[in-house]
Amino acid sequence: MSPAQIRLTTLWRREVSRFLKIKRQTIGAPLLETFLYISVFGAALGSRIDQLHGIDYVVFVIPGLIMMSWATNAFANNSSSILQQKFQGAIQDQLSSPASPLELLLAFSLGGFTRGMLVSLLTLTAGALLVDLPIEHVGVLVPALFIVGFFFSQLGVLVGVRAEQFDDVAFAQTFVLQPLIFLGGVFYSAALLPEPFQTLTHFNPVYYMINLVRYGFLGFSEANIALSLGFLSIATAALFAFNWRLFRNGYKLRA
Amino acid sequence: MIDPPALDIADLGKRYPTGVEALRGVSLQIAAGEFCGLLGPNGAGKSTLIHCSTGLAQPTTGSIRIFGHDAVEHYGEARQAVGLAPQDLNLDWFLSVEETLDFHGGYFGMARRDRRERTAELLEIFSLTEKRDERTRTLSGGMKRRLILARALMHRPRLLILDEPTAGVDIELRLELWHYVRQINQEGTTILLTTHYLEEAEQLCDKIAFINDGRIVAQGSSEDLARRYGVANLEDAYLELVGRKELSRSHLTDLAPT
Repeated sequence: MSPAQIRLTTLWRREVSRFLKIKRQTIGAPLLETFLYISVFGAALGSRIDQLHGIDYVVFVIPGLIMMSWATNAFANNSSSILQQKFQGAIQDQLSSPASPLELLLAFSLGGFTRGMLVSLLTLTAGALLVDLPIEHVGVLVPALFIVGFFFSQLGVLVGVRAEQFDDVAFAQTFVLQPLIFLGGVFYSAALLPEPFQTLTHFNPVYYMINLVRYGFLGFSEANIALSLGFLSIATAALFAFNWRLFRNGYKLRA
Repeated sequence: MIDPPALDIADLGKRYPTGVEALRGVSLQIAAGEFCGLLGPNGAGKSTLIHCSTGLAQPTTGSIRIFGHDAVEHYGEARQAVGLAPQDLNLDWFLSVEETLDFHGGYFGMARRDRRERTAELLEIFSLTEKRDERTRTLSGGMKRRLILARALMHRPRLLILDEPTAGVDIELRLELWHYVRQINQEGTTILLTTHYLEEAEQLCDKIAFINDGRIVAQGSSEDLARRYGVANLEDAYLELVGRKELSRSHLTDLAPT
């Protein structure tokens, strides 16, 4: 491996090592949360709702939960890890190394991406054990999940770099991320909403993410697949470019 | 061909976004192999100078070259040559002692086998072998200080920057650290040391630079500085510099009741 590859993999290993050392909180808790969602919305509520667009309600919900796991864990990991390291001052060891801004950004991003992927895979396994979950379009599902993971990794990095106290991260998580995800249609079909909420949902990027992932699993989507993929790819690339600029300028990282 | 200086700082200025001007045209040269002390009161600009040299702060004006590499334009080569033992105990709480060294080596591009060998060597030198699996936050203050120095040396830097390395450590560890840094300096590592212990600077440093209010106000050997200020020793020269000569021990002795 070249020195650059060693630097990148070590920075990434540090991120993975952090979340594995506190796995009850970083892996266990999100899994339990997802299990509770499946129980409440699938088993309890599902017995009343029965079907949505001809799909069993619990099956309709699970793709959204898988997407939500990846998104929230990628975000939470990166925002917390960066802020903790800034607090401890431990980030100085990385910032004073020869690692380039791109290497640092990629490593932080991939840390959360990896945790999100791990929790999502475990959620998928649990979901597949509980219900008969089809995978209709793997060619859409995999890129869709990767885009979702990378988008929220970038968002986590952005919030972590900007944050000056833990309250800043909690604020973004509670007042921005959760509403976007819950109102994006994880637990319902946007077509069921009255106006103007149905139209407003179309301005929420998470709506397109859920639809892409749902299409990958179930073959059902309320949004145009190609347009959604294109729009989300551009949004993710733009966010990455913005973060890269912050890292190059040392924004809130280097005095 | 003449070797470039280990550290060549020219007209360095640093103004923080808050408007504080921490450095005002600092110029300082440290030759390869030299042991240089940087002395000055709190807030004089010592840590800012170190942060600018290691990429933790971005200079506003001027230049820094480390063994000929510009610290901003060619930061990769420049930082590869520097080891920093910061004033704060900024260890990563999530890592063990061994991981701290191994990961640091990785951040500096060292191959796995080299990391393993160097880690074992440094753990032994700093009497940390038995603590290798312990999380850093469980270590005592002295152990943390040893680990920080070991971490700074992990990638075999040619320039070692020690920012108040003996602040708050017991006498035994202080003497141990003195012995070790003197030894690595004799083996060829250039050292820049900031300290508030003038005895430490006098014992260890070939050259001493006084920094005050963001400017290098004097530099030379301990004897040169005492001569320049017309006083008996480095401590009195320092007190002259900060405008507190009434605190000089000789002055206080004269005032003592008989």
